[in-house]
Amino acid sequence: MAEARERHGWKWLLCTPALIVLVAAASGPLMIVVAYSFLTPGNMGGVEWDFTLEAWFRVFFRRDIFDPDAITLNQAHLGVFGRSVLLSLQTTLLCAVLGFPTAWFIATRPPSSRTLWLFLITIPFWTNLLIRTFAIQEVIRNNGTINAVLTGLGVIDSPLQMMYTDFAILLGMAYVFLPLMVLPLYAAMDKLDFRLVEAGYDLYASRVQVLWHVILPLVKPGFIAGSILVFIPSIGAYVTPRVLGGGRTMMLGNLIALQFGQGRNWPLGAALAMLMLIIVVGALIFYLRWANREEARNV
Amino acid sequence: MGSTGAGVSEPTETGTVEIVIRDLSKIFGQGAAAFHALSDIDLEIRTGEFFTLLGPSGCGKTTLLRVIAGFEQPSTGSLGINGKEVAGLGPNARPVNTVFQNYALFPHMTVAQNIGFGLKMQGRPRSEVEATTDEMLRLVKMEAMAERKPSEISGGQQQRVALARALAPRPRVLLLDEPLSALDLKLRKEMQGELKRLQTETGITFIFVTHDQEEALTMSDRIAVMSAGRILQLGSPHEIYHAPSERFVADFIGDTNFLDLPVASVDGSQATVTLPGGKETAARLPQGYLPVLGETVTTVIRPEQAQTVAPGQGDMDGVVENAVFFGTDTHVHLRLDDGQPFILRRQNIAEAREPAPGTRLGLTLSPGALRVLKG
Amino acid sequence: MFNRNFSVSRLPGFGAVAVFTFVMLYLPIIILVTFSFNAGVSQAQWEGFSLQWYQAAFQNDQVRDVSIRSLWLALAASGFATVLSTLAALGTTRVGRFPGQTMIYALINQPLMVPEIVTGVALLILVAFLKVQTGYTGMGYLVAAHTAFCIPFAYLPIRARLETMDITLEKAAADLYADHWQAFRYITLPLLVPGILAGFMLGFVISLDTVVITEFVKSAGQDTLPTYMLGQLRRTITPEMNAIATLFLALSLCIVTAFFVITRKRGT
Repeated sequence: MAEARERHGWKWLLCTPALIVLVAAASGPLMIVVAYSFLTPGNMGGVEWDFTLEAWFRVFFRRDIFDPDAITLNQAHLGVFGRSVLLSLQTTLLCAVLGFPTAWFIATRPPSSRTLWLFLITIPFWTNLLIRTFAIQEVIRNNGTINAVLTGLGVIDSPLQMMYTDFAILLGMAYVFLPLMVLPLYAAMDKLDFRLVEAGYDLYASRVQVLWHVILPLVKPGFIAGSILVFIPSIGAYVTPRVLGGGRTMMLGNLIALQFGQGRNWPLGAALAMLMLIIVVGALIFYLRWANREEARNV
Repeated sequence: MGSTGAGVSEPTETGTVEIVIRDLSKIFGQGAAAFHALSDIDLEIRTGEFFTLLGPSGCGKTTLLRVIAGFEQPSTGSLGINGKEVAGLGPNARPVNTVFQNYALFPHMTVAQNIGFGLKMQGRPRSEVEATTDEMLRLVKMEAMAERKPSEISGGQQQRVALARALAPRPRVLLLDEPLSALDLKLRKEMQGELKRLQTETGITFIFVTHDQEEALTMSDRIAVMSAGRILQLGSPHEIYHAPSERFVADFIGDTNFLDLPVASVDGSQATVTLPGGKETAARLPQGYLPVLGETVTTVIRPEQAQTVAPGQGDMDGVVENAVFFGTDTHVHLRLDDGQPFILRRQNIAEAREPAPGTRLGLTLSPGALRVLKG
Repeated sequence: MFNRNFSVSRLPGFGAVAVFTFVMLYLPIIILVTFSFNAGVSQAQWEGFSLQWYQAAFQNDQVRDVSIRSLWLALAASGFATVLSTLAALGTTRVGRFPGQTMIYALINQPLMVPEIVTGVALLILVAFLKVQTGYTGMGYLVAAHTAFCIPFAYLPIRARLETMDITLEKAAADLYADHWQAFRYITLPLLVPGILAGFMLGFVISLDTVVITEFVKSAGQDTLPTYMLGQLRRTITPEMNAIATLFLALSLCIVTAFFVITRKRGT
């Protein structure tokens, strides 16, 4: 045992500087969040060091101000949860609907031009999310491109209100997260044996039947991976709903931020942040278990 | 053996024609980068025959198969299956099924689901799909594996499933793209017999692509030898082997001796050529080819079509350079008197010693075996 | 009815959707860039070419301040992250399994998995506490936070490079009397340079893009370009923002292209 420690010591030593920074500025603070979710809010933000489950309770329920025993579900919070999950699922769906044909298109290009198309998909992924959100805002705001063009063409008289709606958030998130769907789908299609597609046609399948019975089952791993990759940042989204939803339509991320800002209820914010983390980790575990089962099934 | 009629390759009157291909070509790419994968293909394949496309890799045989299947569309020409023009139709609209080189079994379906796929896609009733699937499983002796995934069965078993899957919809024509190339030698021999049995039992037209000349000779009713996108010779295995029309065909099929010999006289379908050493012998001429007297022509003769005798007693003499023992027979490499090489295959009927290098042997050619190639 | 073009890889309508997707992906960016050169304030009506908004951006002291802060923060954070990641990669790659390895991987990749807003508020809590306790309110917090966030991104290409490296080269060096340090100095390190460079660039872009964490960690007067933009987006927007965004975009694009060139050269 001592010998083992001796032999592996240098590996740990090399990792130590990175681990110190990571623990100090990433993992450690996370533990503090867990602790804070069980404390009492201070008057001017911050906390009092009194253990309580109140914050977790208030994530889901609310007490009547005048009658503390009258407990009702916290409709405002549940509304935000519902919107967050729904918008994230819609974003995933929209990305899948647009991303599947796009990935197929790239995968069926000649190898020489495929790199270029892939690069075109990757570029937005590496450019600033805020700038891309800003670009979308410029297109859909009341005196933005779409409204100006439609007004100019005489299609509409008054601008369409697209900003500060769920639709704007959906559009923005699908826009910024689309590459995360296309890349794993492309990877799955790139591995797809096209002779299987040929075999499908050879056995009298129509294009729709080949798509449904042959292609989709075979690229399913890419689909699931892409869906997880889109769903997780969607659930955690903060910038996109803040910019495109304004203050009016909130997602979970904005609700968390609110508790640390005007809300001045840090424990509630901490509990909400934990809730978000639980959803994300839950999605990851679901994915890993699915992937393991799938791997076990197709030895 | 060499007594089959001269190079008759036109389809006979008996039997109906299943596939008619006229002036078909396939060009990949455009302009300077254009590649002629198939040129001037004219072919008729009869109903119920075992037809083989034979040639080296890159000769166009697989492309031709893919054009018939519908995976590729011809650049020019027509393709009729059972009297119906199919050029331009997708593979799903042709009464043709394919056994792919690496089987292309759907990995996410069971063996039974794979076999039933074609029928299901055709919209046949479930009971019929199940009945036919069972029948096919029996036909290829895979009943016990019905619920396995393709990854859970051996290569030979995958091969049987691929066959069953392609046969299940009862296609008019079955296309087989080097289906045996992934199997080891023993299994391959076994499957050759199996394929022949299935073809006879079902009566379906088989078009078989292979680069293995032995496989082609043992299994086919007729063979088309291809090279560089063209069909060089079409005929029965006997014709292809004994009466090769061109040097490429003779060289590709089996071992062959090429002898350049001067023509002494011409008489109808026969010529008399002068062998090294001065003796004259008859050589068959190919149809429509008349050499000039004194012209040197290329003749072919198979290594087993010569026997050894005492020096000076045969048609010509040769000196042994070396001998290679193959078990059933021995290949004796000789140098003829005019310096041309000659290989002799001697069957090891009795346990005989290989002749020592430097030994002088006499050679007698089997009557009618020597053939002149088109110039 | 005579279709010479039946292709097994074609699916009806897919090409159209793909083209639509690419257009949707780039149209907003193209509009953004185009109107940064507009003479007027409209985002829809072209009123002539002009560089006035770039001029305005350059003359805006605040923009200059936050840009410089963003750049040096990114430089410092990705620099630290690259050094730390290189060490960590050397400690975890090609060394066989060792106890605690999974935990190290989990720690390194944690910033990738935890939503930025969660990390943001977590850091807010810690930094608020430290500020009160130590009285220090400088840029150190931002540098540390960005460094931690950049580590997984910098670690990735360095590790990939190490994994594809031929281990026999070091053995050959050892055979030629090089000690461990010399083998590393003259063999491993030079071969690792493309990976380190790629890791640095990736870290730089990530730090430059990070907005949520910065938003929660920064003290007053520590705005970076992204947080400045985020604040401005609520107000009336002039094409000056387009100009800033375009410059920002151009910078990211240059780095990403360089990154691709470096990593692709590695493959050949």
